[in-house]
Amino acid sequence: MADKPVIEMSRYCVPFTPFGGQLEAASICLVSTAGVYHKSDPPFDVNGDLSFRVIPGTAHASELRIADAHYDHGCVDRDVNCVFPIDRLKELTHEHRIGGVADRHFSIGFTQAIRQLRDDTLPYLVEEVRSTRPDAVLLTGG
Amino acid sequence: MIAIPTVLITVEPMVSEQARPPRALCPLGFIAGHSLGRPNDVTLQQRIIMDALGLLVAAPAPGQVIRRSFDCVTET
Repeated sequence: MADKPVIEMSRYCVPFTPFGGQLEAASICLVSTAGVYHKSDPPFDVNGDLSFRVIPGTAHASELRIADAHYDHGCVDRDVNCVFPIDRLKELTHEHRIGGVADRHFSIGFTQAIRQLRDDTLPYLVEEVRSTRPDAVLLTGG
Repeated sequence: MIAIPTVLITVEPMVSEQARPPRALCPLGFIAGHSLGRPNDVTLQQRIIMDALGLLVAAPAPGQVIRRSFDCVTET
């Protein structure tokens, strides 16, 4: 008997989860690759780091730091919102333009070990995002 | 399984397209280090965020990176 065929996803397929709500009622979670961390946490290793940081939704941008050597810091050194707009999300919530800011947000740092990031780090990060239960995730880079 | 809709803000649209993002916005002219806008420019940063989140309620265009200019948005 022939081996059972394996169904593979075409590289042209796009994963897509519909958004069924209203922005005015949606809690938003930030997930960043910009090397953002809370000042009370250890920084990322700028030479390569497979860990992620959890940033509380109560944090202000002034409490956040950047550990990354792969993009220009001229703007983020003045305003972390340039790459991680936590203050902006709070203002938009206050203005009732979005529903709220998620309890937790997340950042990873620089790494070239992409396969290891995918296999060893991202499953745990994804599970943390899921347990936060935001209505939507805003992904940002640097 | 909980599925969560996502939207990406990218300043590398051609790279991001290879990852087939479900929703993505590229603010034209911005680079890594200020992909969300100029420092302390609240109006611009809020505009970029709301335009990105607007893709959640817009007609789906999975796999496409929407390129948009924000040159005319300034701090008020």
